[in-house]
Amino acid sequence: MTITLWILQLLFIPVLSPVFIGLTRKIKAEFQNRKGASIFQPYRDLYKLFHKDEVISEDASWIFRMAPFVTFGVTLAIGACIPIVSSALSASPVGDFLVVIYLFALGTFWLALAGLDTGSAFGGFGSSREMMLAAFTEGGLILSLLTLVLLSGTTDLSSVATTMRSLPFSSIAPVAIALLAFAIALLSETARYPFDNPATHLELTMVHEAMILEYSGKRLALMEWSAANKYLLFLTLGATLFFPWGLAHTLSLGAIVVGLIILVAKVSLLCLCIATLESSISKLRIFRLPDLLFTSCLLGIIAIGLII
Amino acid sequence: MDTKHLIQKYLPEHTEVSISGNCIIVPVKAADLVALANGLYRAHRLPLKMITALDETRDGGLYRILYVFGIPQAHKFITLSLQTVSEFPSLTPSIHEASLYERKINSLFGLSPTGHPHPRSIILHDNWPKGTYPLRKKFLWNERPPMTDTDTPFSFAHIGGEEGIYELPVGPVHAGIIEPGHFRFHLAGEEILNLEPRLGYSHKGTEKLFETLPLEKKVQLSERIAGDSSFTYSLAFCQAVETLMNIVVPARAKHLRVVYSELERLANHFSDIGAIMTDTGFNFGGAQGARLRERVMRICDRLTGSRFLRGVNTIGGVTKDLSKEAAHTLSEELVELRTDFAEVMAIAADSSSLINRLKDTGILDPKIARDHGCTGVAGRAVGIQNDARAQYPYAAYESLRFTMAGAQEGDVEARFTVRIEEVYTSIDLILQALEALPSDSIAKLQPPVLPKNAFAVSITEGWRGDMVCLVATDSTGSISRVDMRDPSLLNWPCVGYAGKGNVVPDFPLINKSFSLSYTGGDM
Repeated sequence: MTITLWILQLLFIPVLSPVFIGLTRKIKAEFQNRKGASIFQPYRDLYKLFHKDEVISEDASWIFRMAPFVTFGVTLAIGACIPIVSSALSASPVGDFLVVIYLFALGTFWLALAGLDTGSAFGGFGSSREMMLAAFTEGGLILSLLTLVLLSGTTDLSSVATTMRSLPFSSIAPVAIALLAFAIALLSETARYPFDNPATHLELTMVHEAMILEYSGKRLALMEWSAANKYLLFLTLGATLFFPWGLAHTLSLGAIVVGLIILVAKVSLLCLCIATLESSISKLRIFRLPDLLFTSCLLGIIAIGLII
Repeated sequence: MDTKHLIQKYLPEHTEVSISGNCIIVPVKAADLVALANGLYRAHRLPLKMITALDETRDGGLYRILYVFGIPQAHKFITLSLQTVSEFPSLTPSIHEASLYERKINSLFGLSPTGHPHPRSIILHDNWPKGTYPLRKKFLWNERPPMTDTDTPFSFAHIGGEEGIYELPVGPVHAGIIEPGHFRFHLAGEEILNLEPRLGYSHKGTEKLFETLPLEKKVQLSERIAGDSSFTYSLAFCQAVETLMNIVVPARAKHLRVVYSELERLANHFSDIGAIMTDTGFNFGGAQGARLRERVMRICDRLTGSRFLRGVNTIGGVTKDLSKEAAHTLSEELVELRTDFAEVMAIAADSSSLINRLKDTGILDPKIARDHGCTGVAGRAVGIQNDARAQYPYAAYESLRFTMAGAQEGDVEARFTVRIEEVYTSIDLILQALEALPSDSIAKLQPPVLPKNAFAVSITEGWRGDMVCLVATDSTGSISRVDMRDPSLLNWPCVGYAGKGNVVPDFPLINKSFSLSYTGGDM
């Protein structure tokens, strides 16, 4: 049964991630009085890209060629070890919160390398901006998760999710503050507003898009797909750690199915929140972004301060 | 004020002048040019509207350079006329806005402005063969000169010295679907130290084509200089020809021209207001702007059969009339459109994150703006009072009431609010014109007989700024030269100055707030 759950987890993220990108876009379109594309459009885009030829710059090294596989692989690995529908993976040796955070960092690192690799001006821009954001985001991300870790006394994310349900009422303040810190980090890590505009066509304003500007065809598909995976991973982490209700604790088929449905509902709700945010504000000026990320960091410190 | 008084007022005593169309022509010698031009520009504060050249060598003459100064409110232009063989004294050291015109004449006619501090080629690129000048008469319109390779790249400004300053070339191919243009940034991290646009990628030889096409095709060509300004461009051309032919356009046609001009402005201002919001990432506003623009374009389509109002202008008037019912429906639609727009703008004004992005971004220094002859929306946003509808009233604008929009700050927000004000003005102008619509004919058509060796100037206020059109005829009475000065030509350098000191990710927003035409400047 554990094997089945592993396989299920391994498939869950890549299979479902495009639909949540599609859903977020659809909700945004609704907010703009537009009809918008179907929520399954990202699948068609991926299918299209996988059937296209690639153009790779002759200045590109093996790093450029490898990066899509690494970033995609990293999202698969994380998908397999975080609690998604069940907390029964607590025995997994890779479910440690630091492992997860630094696997994400590994993906970001490769993405930034790939942006620099072809020597194009925009790739360099994207990478430099991404590294600035990544460096500032890391603090908030670690501290917010550390709050939960300290509350539950374990660094294993599945166990954290289990204990989160039985926390005393007094921990609600630190958890809420940590959630805020996590939410800011989530927006930065997944290249959403107010940090980055996933829909922009303006090469000078891009962060994530600038790094993958040189990619085309199949590798671009992998890059787009891993970005979608990362988006779903962060939403799932938020949903299972901060709102752990509905997580299956046994390995019965029924519990897993119910867990799955509840998770999809929770993640869809988070997509609605993000789409609402993206429809109601403008992007921030780039030099105001570190302020926001410092806020995330500070909130994390406050949350921990409340516990200790 | 009649012509005699104007001559007395603006020109030195005993100046020899002649009159052609709406121009007071003053023949000048090279030695007197700079002093005379400075007298008009500095002492009398007459705006320089255009500098252009004519090739009269086929008629046994020389090259002629015309310096057109506008006299606001007087419907007249003082035109200094200088004959030359190969070079002419540059006005640029004393009148900076002459620079681009002189460089253009240098590139396309091969006449060199002596004393110009930096007469780099514009429009034509390095692969264009040296010594080939497309606007000379002996260059045939369908000639395709062999492209040459060159080792002398375009000389951009250079900032050296400090470590960490680097150049970023952007374009001419962009990530989005926009017109081609190259921007050379000098950056320190994200901060823009210097920015230079380099254009010419969409040069199509429009001016040359004007020389060969028959008259009715010339009207069509004028609609296609910049598709988003089809109506105002063809209006500028038609008005210049009407002046040459002494046609008195019927009052109904004049009012309809106001209606169509303002519809064009509405469509484009909606589009720009939306696009500025999109570029800050405020998607709601962006989508609403696109929707409002589409509504106006559908109205245009319904009224004239063309979303871009093509085929509407003709020499002597317009081709599409409005029935009483159509006029009534249009008025009702516009009133509703005004409410619709006001609702969207109320939501936008409530968004502090949007206003924060617009405020203090891309500030254009008023002195730099004036020196470059910055015109249109961008000019009005730094307090330059410049609106051809008020200063050189054409069509029926003289009989309609409106106030010129304006702001002082010169930032993106100022350009944004000037456009918003102008949307309300445009709706109001259309409503006034429809209310007062006279019942005479929509066009006065007459055989196209043009005077010989004459020229006329016409100015219209497009949604970007004023468009100046000069039409000249040769010794056979056929049109030998048409020059259209797009507001973009003067405003492009201002974009570079407005970008300085900002961060790179704000540049697309700054650029959008100017919303200039590549094709209009490149011709």
